[in-house]
Amino acid sequence: MSAPTLPHLSSAQWLRKNLFRGPLDAVITILAGAVVGYVVFRMLRFVFVSGRWEIVERNLTLFMVGQYDRTQLWRPALAVVISAALAGLVAGVIRRRQAAAGRLPDPHLGGVRKLTNLSGRLWPALVGLLLLLGLTTSPGPWLVAGAALLAAAAGSALGRRAPRGFAWALAPGILLCLFGLVAFLAQPLEWDRWGGMMLNLLLAGTSIVLCFPLGVLLALGRRSQLPAIRAVCTGYIELFRGAPLIALLLMANVALGFFVPQELAPGKVVRAIVVFTLFTAAYIAEIVRGGLQSVPDGQLEAGKAIGLSPVRITAMIELPQALRNVIPAMVGQFISLFKDTTLAGAAMGFLDLLAGAEAATSQPAFRGQGLIAETLVFVALLFWVGSYTMSRESQRLELRLGVGQR
Amino acid sequence: MTPEGDGAGKDPARTVSFATPPASRPPLWRDVRVLKWVFQLGVVGAVAMLLGVLVNNVRANSARLGIPTGFDYLDQPAQLTIPGNDMRASQPVREAILQGTLNTLRVVIAGIVLATVIGILIGIARLSGNWLLRNSARVYVEIIRNVPLLLIVIFSYLAFVITGLPTIDVAWEPLGIMVISNRGAVVPWHDGSNTQVTAILLAALIVAVAVGRLRVAWTDRRGGLPHAGFWGTLTFIAAALILGRAGGVGLSVPVSNGRPSGGIVLAPEYFALLVALVVYTASHIAEIVRGSIQAVPKGQNEAAQALALTPMQRMWKVVLPQAMRIAVPPIGNQYLNLLKNSSLGFAISYFELTKVTSVSIGNARPAVPSYLLLIAIYLVFSVALEFMVNLTNRRLALVQR
Amino acid sequence: MSAHDHSAAPRAMIELIGVWKRFDDFVALRDINLSVAPQEVVVVIGPSGSGKSTLIRCINRLEKHDAGRIFVGGTELSDDLRNIQEIRRETGMVFQQFNLFPHLSVLDNVTLGPRQARKMPKRDANQLGMQLLEQVRIPEQAQKYPGQLSGGQQQRVAIARALAMRPKVMLFDEPTSALDPEMINEVLDAMKDLAREGMTMIVVTHEMGFAREVADRVVFMADGEIVETGTPEHFFTKPSENRTKAFLSQIL
Repeated sequence: MSAPTLPHLSSAQWLRKNLFRGPLDAVITILAGAVVGYVVFRMLRFVFVSGRWEIVERNLTLFMVGQYDRTQLWRPALAVVISAALAGLVAGVIRRRQAAAGRLPDPHLGGVRKLTNLSGRLWPALVGLLLLLGLTTSPGPWLVAGAALLAAAAGSALGRRAPRGFAWALAPGILLCLFGLVAFLAQPLEWDRWGGMMLNLLLAGTSIVLCFPLGVLLALGRRSQLPAIRAVCTGYIELFRGAPLIALLLMANVALGFFVPQELAPGKVVRAIVVFTLFTAAYIAEIVRGGLQSVPDGQLEAGKAIGLSPVRITAMIELPQALRNVIPAMVGQFISLFKDTTLAGAAMGFLDLLAGAEAATSQPAFRGQGLIAETLVFVALLFWVGSYTMSRESQRLELRLGVGQR
Repeated sequence: MTPEGDGAGKDPARTVSFATPPASRPPLWRDVRVLKWVFQLGVVGAVAMLLGVLVNNVRANSARLGIPTGFDYLDQPAQLTIPGNDMRASQPVREAILQGTLNTLRVVIAGIVLATVIGILIGIARLSGNWLLRNSARVYVEIIRNVPLLLIVIFSYLAFVITGLPTIDVAWEPLGIMVISNRGAVVPWHDGSNTQVTAILLAALIVAVAVGRLRVAWTDRRGGLPHAGFWGTLTFIAAALILGRAGGVGLSVPVSNGRPSGGIVLAPEYFALLVALVVYTASHIAEIVRGSIQAVPKGQNEAAQALALTPMQRMWKVVLPQAMRIAVPPIGNQYLNLLKNSSLGFAISYFELTKVTSVSIGNARPAVPSYLLLIAIYLVFSVALEFMVNLTNRRLALVQR
Repeated sequence: MSAHDHSAAPRAMIELIGVWKRFDDFVALRDINLSVAPQEVVVVIGPSGSGKSTLIRCINRLEKHDAGRIFVGGTELSDDLRNIQEIRRETGMVFQQFNLFPHLSVLDNVTLGPRQARKMPKRDANQLGMQLLEQVRIPEQAQKYPGQLSGGQQQRVAIARALAMRPKVMLFDEPTSALDPEMINEVLDAMKDLAREGMTMIVVTHEMGFAREVADRVVFMADGEIVETGTPEHFFTKPSENRTKAFLSQIL
């Protein structure tokens, strides 16, 4: 957003151009400077002087994995390493496909430049990681982080050498791996008693996977020419978009048991996932509908004219174009979902990341000392790192796709 | 009909008329019309069956637990008290829900007004030529948008209002017109009755609109710019002050002195929720405003420049009216979100609809009807708000044509 | 009443009998009767809004006709799903706005129909696709995406895409109207090649030169009706109807 600064602009010229262009500008600069200076001063003082961060240091494990058995921590650690390897694998495969299509931004980039580029892109995540590691008091997390980096690199290398047909097996394979990981993690502690960031990730991840197909179906249904189908889908979408998420979660927590036979009443995590899925699907549907509207009618007609069946026209012509157009909006919705998983803590009594931040302040060692700001700021930072990284990457993807279409 | 030159060599025009008998019917499983009906009936049937099963389950489970499924509980005593409200525990549930609804509306209406004003200011700041202003607005937006709202609400309550603000005896008094402490905020308010004030404001509004119209009519004949908005606002303030003085209603500005008096007290929960909702919604509105202004084609500004309009005129007469049209639907969506997000007051025990409902369920009121009613109320408000937004949108769109 | 039994229909490649089409109050087609013999090239001309496009869009069911009967290659266009798909597979259509699929490469655009609707193996489909791209003289663009091509190139790809279904009939809906003038000829040349090879074609166009040179028959439409049909020579030199004369005097 910031105006490009030409290299030959001296610092005095830069100041004149950007801060003191006229008397009004100067007044604005001074006023804004005073406010910003005050806020920055308060923040720095809080971070380095008045803040008492030992509450965060002592509770890092609580924030990450909640009440997970402390002797079983190798499980989440292993899960992190495997996830990193999978992420690396996906990145490697994407890179290979880009290279094959001749769409690599700069194929001859040296290793060092590549690394600085990547860290420029992912600096929020790096900052978050370093902060986490800086706060740890044991070597374990360092080892995990190192292993995860190595695993990611190995996965990426593997992905780049994978055989051609491999890409098709990738998505189902990774889903299977992730569900396997969840089952593996749930072995010592059933997931209704999970907590910390692990729970937020579980809720968000599962709901994202489940709500996507439902949302696409609803969008197609809302655009159907058949009035009854349209009415059913529209009713569903409007119902879930008009109700507050927390009310739905409360209802699921207390009243979902009434809607199913007694013996089938699901556990709390399943209830939360059901609500997040049904709720987010309505929003995804509206996003996808927007994407479908952006596909010109001529595309559909051309599909009909070459004799494709309606299902094929939808699957091979309309949806690929529609989904590509709405990737950023969809990522935005997934970010919302990730942030909204905190509501499950408030409505259903999970000890998730945010609830953990509140709970920590009532531990015997910290009770009555007013340390809530410390824990909340720390948790906010974790959420910010996740959301901001995702939104930046989706914007980048949007630009890339836009270029790819030309 | 003209004879054909060559080609098929027959002229079916005279042999077949409009009343051609329909083509032979294809078998049912290939008939497009039949297929459409079957598919629709199938889906509707499945949905109806699912709903039937759900209703049936609720009936069976409720009967088993001896819980009523009707709405009779609304007339039973609520047995709950709402802070800052003189409702008695013996009053019916219906009354408690009404008070909860009013509390929701209190925070939503104030939130919409404040978030709109602040959001527009920040959105314009994001496009400022001033580097410092532009980037501080950007940092604000990028931070707030990427943090969970619930976290902001809890922070606003526990870390800002309860532990962050000064105690009442050293309360913070910005501009000398408010008293802000960890017991909430006291802000200026009128000291008359609500009906009186509504009447005065309505009267002032009528006078202001009349003055604005007069300005327009005047300048239409004599030339010059009407500045109807400016003169209207000025008239409104003046008329309200004069009418208020005449009716014995004034502005009550709180004074602190350890025990604040005057003004109106905003409870800490209300104040914290309002701050959080405004901070959060304003960041979203700011992004919408920025995007909408940037979406107006550059050529519009250039065309206005070519007509020798001043920068202010270009902004107000050319760019903003077009940006408004783009911005109204998404901003309306933000209002809807704010309405729904007000339910997060639940987490800090602000007694709005959701909190009242869940406390009432805690008092052994039946859960299923209570939650259905809760969701229905939100739906009604959503539909009403959506209707108003659509109305505005249509008006703007018509003006554009 | 020979038109009523199916045995009479195959004599013509396309047969429209008393076809009507309404859009709400507006009558787009009014009792249209037209039959096109195999290998015949029919050019449809007329002022805008005269129903030309609707006419050919009814032939492959992009619009559903309200009354009358339509036969293509002896198959009647009815509510029968199988007939609709069969007719669509046997008619190729070229649109004014090309309507190429922007997310697929040029070759994939051409092979999508044969692979999906005709279940042709990928290798054969690619071979066929390259052969057709050579026929429209752009084999070198096969791996590019539609957005990277000029309008004329895109329209030639669209022709190749339509031909890939091995259609018996080709429908052209103002194929050159969206093109820059310098690109019109490359598309018209491809169409002329096609006509020379004996393809049955219905062409809606404003290119009078093309009509004069290639058409076996010219159909003039106005207000949803066929006003006059005849050989190009008859049509351009001594039209019999007043509306035809008025139209020709405006454009020639």
